[in-house]
Amino acid sequence: MVFNSLTFIVFFACVLLMHSLPLGWTTRKVNLLLASYLFYSAWNPPFVILLWISTVVDWYAAQGLVKSQRAAARHAWMLLSVVANLGMLGFFKYGQFLLDNFTALMSLLGVAYHPAHYDIVLPVGISFYTFATMSYTLDVYLRRALPARNLLDYALFVTFFPHLVAGPIMRPTELVPQFETPRRATGEQLRFGLALMTIGLFNKVVLADSFLSHIAESVYDSDKVPGALDAWAATLAFSGQIFCDFAGYSTTAIGAALCLGFAMPDNFRFPYAAVGFTDFWRRWHITLSSWLRDYLYIPLGGNRHGARRTYAALMITMLLGGLWHGANWTFVAWGGLHGLYLSVERFLRARFANYRPGPFVFVALGLLTYTLVNLTWVFFRAKTFGKAWAVLRGMFGTSVAAKPILDTFSLLTVLVIVGGMLVTHWLMRGRTLESVIARTPAAVVCGVWALMLFAIVIVQGAGSAFIYFQF
Amino acid sequence: MRPVPEQPWGRILAGAALLFVLLLGGWEMYWRAYGVTPSIANDNGLWAIQRRRIDAGEGDATVIVASSRPFFDIQLPVWERLDGRRPIQLAFEGTSPLAFAEDLADDPHFTGRLIIGIDPQVFFQGFDSHDDAIAYTRKQSPSQRVGQWLSMYLIEPYLAFDDADFALETVLERQAWPPRPGKPWLTKVRKLSQSEADRNTHLWSKVADDPQYRALARSIWHQRFAPAMDPPPEKLRKTIQEQIDRLAKAVAKLRARGVKVLLLRSPSDGEYLAYEARVFPRASTWDVLVKASGAPGLHFQDYPELQGYYLPEWSHMTRADAERYTVALYGIIQRDFWGPHALRAQSGGQSTGASNAGNTSR
Repeated sequence: MVFNSLTFIVFFACVLLMHSLPLGWTTRKVNLLLASYLFYSAWNPPFVILLWISTVVDWYAAQGLVKSQRAAARHAWMLLSVVANLGMLGFFKYGQFLLDNFTALMSLLGVAYHPAHYDIVLPVGISFYTFATMSYTLDVYLRRALPARNLLDYALFVTFFPHLVAGPIMRPTELVPQFETPRRATGEQLRFGLALMTIGLFNKVVLADSFLSHIAESVYDSDKVPGALDAWAATLAFSGQIFCDFAGYSTTAIGAALCLGFAMPDNFRFPYAAVGFTDFWRRWHITLSSWLRDYLYIPLGGNRHGARRTYAALMITMLLGGLWHGANWTFVAWGGLHGLYLSVERFLRARFANYRPGPFVFVALGLLTYTLVNLTWVFFRAKTFGKAWAVLRGMFGTSVAAKPILDTFSLLTVLVIVGGMLVTHWLMRGRTLESVIARTPAAVVCGVWALMLFAIVIVQGAGSAFIYFQF
Repeated sequence: MRPVPEQPWGRILAGAALLFVLLLGGWEMYWRAYGVTPSIANDNGLWAIQRRRIDAGEGDATVIVASSRPFFDIQLPVWERLDGRRPIQLAFEGTSPLAFAEDLADDPHFTGRLIIGIDPQVFFQGFDSHDDAIAYTRKQSPSQRVGQWLSMYLIEPYLAFDDADFALETVLERQAWPPRPGKPWLTKVRKLSQSEADRNTHLWSKVADDPQYRALARSIWHQRFAPAMDPPPEKLRKTIQEQIDRLAKAVAKLRARGVKVLLLRSPSDGEYLAYEARVFPRASTWDVLVKASGAPGLHFQDYPELQGYYLPEWSHMTRADAERYTVALYGIIQRDFWGPHALRAQSGGQSTGASNAGNTSR
């Protein structure tokens, strides 16, 4: 079920009630586990089986790793986990993509191959929980973590509903220890958790769904050729939509976990105030970028084997990171552009190691970063390269004959929301939400909270899914 | 553990809850003062509930697929009083019934009777605003089903503002923003109807009772009547042919299974009727469709009993007239098409004048 639904409100109220009952810790953990399976099966009950497979395979793989003495046996257990998880991901997420590309390759070679349509439904959140379970086995394999003491704690780590379908991608070392001792939120944690959930849902339901999504759709999902203003407005709208959608999900998830007495790490830190792309990836989808760093970039050699190898590792990491987001070459292009940006930045930092920008140049570099990030969003949002090029041509002002697509209200919406978001990100650049709330008068916090709740209700969201569920 | 900012959270929560209730109460009172009363949201979830009835043992029912006119004009309680069974209402405003008819044609569970409403502009231009209801029904998750139930029974019957026409973004969007040069401005269709839990729907009383709102509703239709807004003739001709061919195919499939099909052209009036006569002349649209489908057609202009109703915005009847119209329509259908003594039961393929229809059936 999605967070922005009536079903979730009822579900969460029941979970809070069950978790607050004077029951033993093991019983309450079992309740949380069953609730998490219910949460997941509310989309499509049979897909719970995949969750079980992923859980059981990695549990036994980690047990095997601990018991094995020989390096070859440990290697085999690790491979079992990687193959099982990537196999599931490959079958459900990339099957059609691979088939399409194979067909295209055959066609290039003059072979007429017409396979039946794959017609497989993508299990929601599979990219997230396979990465979470793989990190468990890989950490045990790399001796960075001890295996969980019991299957219940491990299963709850994989399945815990706040992070299950769209992250933050939790590491076992972050969550499993929290299940070892009894937890119940204090009154302050519960109330602040509810405030965080309100902030997250405001971002998702009001800003992303109600105001920004249809602006991006009007340009990206239409067959009209956009001019400069429409192409930029739609792309900026999408930059706001994807941030509010995903950061909104993460904030709601963190709030929900806090209401139950658990801590989850930040997944976003005001990324549109990033200066440079290394900074951007320390602020955007932090748990994915650190996952890719630890389990892909560093094993590929990282920066330990010279410049060439470093650039290659960067590019491979970002290209695969792009592919993780979706089975389409446009996502690979999105990742490739980020890889290129990171490589160029790395080169320039090495070349101008002693350069320290003044305040104006610093802000200008930040705006340049945001502009270049927007160019990558074109490939992320466009369903085809044809559409991406059409939007890019519009952004670079070469579609001069284009007719206006967006109306005045849509343009003003982008100006107000995306402009406001940029200013907020810059003001919050070196701060945390908690530190700002602590310094804000209580009456203002109270008023803002009420207004956000009011807005969530009166926009009458349709309970649309979060964008990252499809990844 | 995550830090919790130092604040009096208990008082903040209580204050926020109180302020929220006050704001929401004010919003609700504002819309009630505007004339809104609670109704059930007519969305894909509500449609799915009715569609599933066919696969859950009611496959022999009378089903209506159409756009807004048969949706607002046929009153299910009146029909039930006359027939003994309540029809399944699967019409959707602004949506050609074609996809719904094709969906039923592919469903062997459906063996009943089917009224296919043909509103010329929507059908012959192939408008498909709510076609996604079919896919939604197939893919609706357990969570969405529970949410639909909670909303239908715990929220929608009590809150007037809970209507897509009064959503914050919609309200803001329709303010008098300065037009963007080169971007023609078309006012979107405003709220016209009230629905109930089984999708029985009628024209919102404000359209009939409030002269300003009625004028607004008419002006919104009027935007479409200018010749400059006409679809390109070649494109229109192609779409008309495609719609006819596809519907004929679906009808053939349905009738082969023993389903009784009736094509229905509901009343329109005033400038809307004049527009339809100009852009979708009966001879090259309705008559061709009836002939191609082989199903009987019932055109309101052929029956005096189906004329003379009050359509405040030229397209839909008031609730009281819709009830009278349903009685008349049911009587004609029984007399001429589906009743035990109907002479033209399923011979079809023609839509004759009133006198002719009367002669053949009486």
